Amino acid sequence: MPPSTDLLQGTLDMLILKAIAGEPQHGWAIAQRIQQVSHDVLQVGQGSLYPALHRLEYRGWIRAHWGNSENNRKARFYSLTAAGRKQLEAELENWQRLTSAVNLVLEGI
Amino acid sequence: MIHEWLSRVRFFCTGKSRRDVDDEIQFHLERQIEANLADGMSLHEARRQAAISFGSRQSTREECRELRPSFPFEALVRDLRYGIRGLVKNPGFTFVTVLTIALAIGANSAVFSLLNQALIRALPVHDPDKLVVLSYAGSHPGHTHSSGGNTPGHAHEFSYPMYRDLREKNVAFDGLIAAAPATVGVVWEKRAEAVGAAMVSGNYFETLGVPPAVGRLFLASDETAEGANPVAVLSFDFWKTHLGEAPVVGKELLINGTAFTVIGVSAPGFHSTVWGQMPDVFIPITMQRVVQPDRTYLKDHQSYWLNLVGRLKPGISPSLAAASLNALFSDLRRSEFPNLRDHSERERKSFIDSAHLNLETGAQGFSPLRDQVQTPLKIIMGMALLVIAMAVVNVASLLLVRAATRTREFSMRYALGATNAQICRQLLAEGLLLGITGAAIGLAIAPQALKLLIHWMSGRSAAQPAFSASLDYRVVLFTIAATLVASLLFSLAPALQFWNPRLSDSLKQQSGTGVGGLLRFRRTCVALQIGFSLLLIVAAGLFVQTIRNLREVDPGFETDNLLSFSIAPQMAGYAQSAIAPVEQRILDSLAALPGIRSVGATNDPELVDDDINGDVIVTGYTPKPDEEFDVELPWISNGYLQTQGVPLVTGRLFNLSDTANSQKVAIVNESFAKHFFGTPQAALGHHLSRPHRPSTDAVIVGVVKDVKHVTVRFPAIPMAYTLYSQAEKPTGLTYYVRTWQNPLAAENEIRSAIANIDSRLIVDALSTLDDDIDNNILAERTIALLATTFGALAAVLAGIGLYGILAYSTAQRTREIGIRMALGANRNSVIGLILREVLILAAWAIGVSIPIALLAARAIRSQLFGVSAAEPLVYTFAILVIALVATIAGVIPSHRAATVDPARALRTD
Repeated sequence: MPPSTDLLQGTLDMLILKAIAGEPQHGWAIAQRIQQVSHDVLQVGQGSLYPALHRLEYRGWIRAHWGNSENNRKARFYSLTAAGRKQLEAELENWQRLTSAVNLVLEGI
Repeated sequence: MIHEWLSRVRFFCTGKSRRDVDDEIQFHLERQIEANLADGMSLHEARRQAAISFGSRQSTREECRELRPSFPFEALVRDLRYGIRGLVKNPGFTFVTVLTIALAIGANSAVFSLLNQALIRALPVHDPDKLVVLSYAGSHPGHTHSSGGNTPGHAHEFSYPMYRDLREKNVAFDGLIAAAPATVGVVWEKRAEAVGAAMVSGNYFETLGVPPAVGRLFLASDETAEGANPVAVLSFDFWKTHLGEAPVVGKELLINGTAFTVIGVSAPGFHSTVWGQMPDVFIPITMQRVVQPDRTYLKDHQSYWLNLVGRLKPGISPSLAAASLNALFSDLRRSEFPNLRDHSERERKSFIDSAHLNLETGAQGFSPLRDQVQTPLKIIMGMALLVIAMAVVNVASLLLVRAATRTREFSMRYALGATNAQICRQLLAEGLLLGITGAAIGLAIAPQALKLLIHWMSGRSAAQPAFSASLDYRVVLFTIAATLVASLLFSLAPALQFWNPRLSDSLKQQSGTGVGGLLRFRRTCVALQIGFSLLLIVAAGLFVQTIRNLREVDPGFETDNLLSFSIAPQMAGYAQSAIAPVEQRILDSLAALPGIRSVGATNDPELVDDDINGDVIVTGYTPKPDEEFDVELPWISNGYLQTQGVPLVTGRLFNLSDTANSQKVAIVNESFAKHFFGTPQAALGHHLSRPHRPSTDAVIVGVVKDVKHVTVRFPAIPMAYTLYSQAEKPTGLTYYVRTWQNPLAAENEIRSAIANIDSRLIVDALSTLDDDIDNNILAERTIALLATTFGALAAVLAGIGLYGILAYSTAQRTREIGIRMALGANRNSVIGLILREVLILAAWAIGVSIPIALLAARAIRSQLFGVSAAEPLVYTFAILVIALVATIAGVIPSHRAATVDPARALRTD
């Protein structure tokens, strides 16, 4: 097993939103993508991925539809809604503020 | 935020199927297996790794399910379904608890509905919070026509000139309205009847913001000059029930013989600014002489008869308005003062210096009836709340007993992983289920209970009751709130018990006796029930004693076979001069009827809470300084005292030699004679007259025994009877007919005799004197009836509660009892063991509740008659009832325990 880093509370939501910001993705691809882009640092536990997807869907930030996957099988694709895009922007901004603040503190001390 | 909420609602309705979730997970796994295969794993290994990396599919599924917006609802439905199954399996328990709640909620809703109508609900007018009721302090020499509701410093009747001045010169009101109640004779399509009426100012409806249902309502132009506005507005109820919603606008209606044109019908639901008055017809104030031909109220500064209500201008507070109005009021009183008969310094002080105008919030309107009913209603509401408290404790203890028998079930559920919250939710759901079912039934029976209550409260009087039998939203809200609070309370009891029990303990408890805390709680329940029912039974006893005392009061005259009714000839359009002759004809023709022993008449009927009083000047008597001694001043026919059977003490009664033109005569009662002359004999030959009215001078020719006049509650008052035929002005009379047999059998005879004289004469308020007395003590009778009902209910509830708890605790002690019996205890000693425990508990509870009952009884002292709030007999009775209930409730379970076979008892788990 590759080393896993616990995701900050709420960060998973942001990563999912970001992962599907470009084009609709299914659950497996979202997990893969986050894992690959982070060079296997961020492991999305499947057990928390699907509840998170459903939670976001119920909140109206993402929407789901059945489509055909790359290997031509029926899969559930998730895409951002307008509200979700707004939410993503807000969360990114928040994240930037937080990380730069944390960096400032780390550099300053 | 709204978007998110909408999205949740959408998913609540559509949801996601379990299949969707499964398919999604399935796809994920397959995709992972593919990827693993592509990485070169064997099929078996690829599957294994995919499953490992995914983790538990079941918990993912469950987590997804719990996220669904509809999940809490589904959980509730599940709890409820489980609850229903459990309740259906225990029909006896369910029936008793639901019935208990239904009775308590039904009684409460009905009583609260009355309370709401009398004390809380605002008048159905525009912006009622801006209304203020006017009253004043200061003397009011002259004639006051009051329908009650006055307290010292708060006289509610104003003269018409004073009203006009206040209305025209004030700066605080958007409108100031005046109204006075009256009874009039109305003829519609040849049918004559006596109805309630209100004389109102032209701006009445406009200022209140009451719209017409039909036609138009009064305007300022309908109040121009005396006798110049023969127009009438009908109340919606009258129009509907008496006129069948016939087209009325522009039609003619005879009121007291005068033709009025109907211009409209007021909005449904509106009756009057005075709660409790239900006028059927509104007429302009300027038509007052049609209603009271003998009174010239409109021009008179010293006739006080109008109730005033003002609508404050926006932004003006009542205190600010009162300040500005008082300056005006004081000026007006000062300018009125020179016209008074009495110009003494003392009168100046009380007429001008101590005059003060009060503005009181008028959203609910001024109401003498409210003053009368509010204490009885509050007492009844208090009793109803006690009943609901008892019901809560009762259901709580029953639920507790049931929960205790379910220890194993709950232990099992804990063992299977249920959390405290889930168990609590389950118990609350069951409690709510019972509460809601009970409340629904209670609410369904509430209108019937309310109808019954109103029926009791209005007695046999024909008048339309001021209470309506419909439940408004406040009552429903109250019921819902009461149900929720009650359900929470009684379901909390078992929930607390199961809060994190130590599993091993509860599993072991099966064979134990009782657990300390639980036992204490159960005992508290029993003690509370006994305490509550003691309070209610004491209240019932006190009120029943009150009623018995009131019924036994001797009014001073024979009430058997006595029938009364009233006829006001002016309602049939009789002119002043024609009234006395027709009244004499009525008396003569009644006296000639075969079934009638004798007949008399008075303008001041007996025992109906009415009085006509004033001060008198008596020759040979010097009043003490500042003496104000009002006496009752009835005008009677010369056969009246004979008919009533009032015993003569000295002198003579009126007879045929006393005519309209002979020397005016008076008869006084013993109280009168005692006050003015010391002895009855000394009174004979003295003269009495009304102040400033020498024409009323009459010589005292006789002294009679005291009788109760206004009500049986109060001691007799001083009275001076004079002859109606010698009175200054004729007036309507109440006739008293003494019959040989059942008085009501004479009704038809009487009605046809009156109709023979003139078919327009209206025989009103026909009743027997016994009924009049019953009506006179109606409030007390209603409270006594309700208190008895509540007391009995409380005793039954306490019995059920006790039985439930005892049945359970003896069942728990089966093994202990078995051992005792095996060791030689006989049946009686086992019964004694259990009964003794119950009775000791009851004795404790009674000991604690008696002081509380004594305190509570003080609060209802004002409603008692001839019985002390600490009457030992009543308390003894209450204690006996409770002891009896406790014994009955204890005998059955203890008997059952005593018949147990020791061998079998020892084998129970």
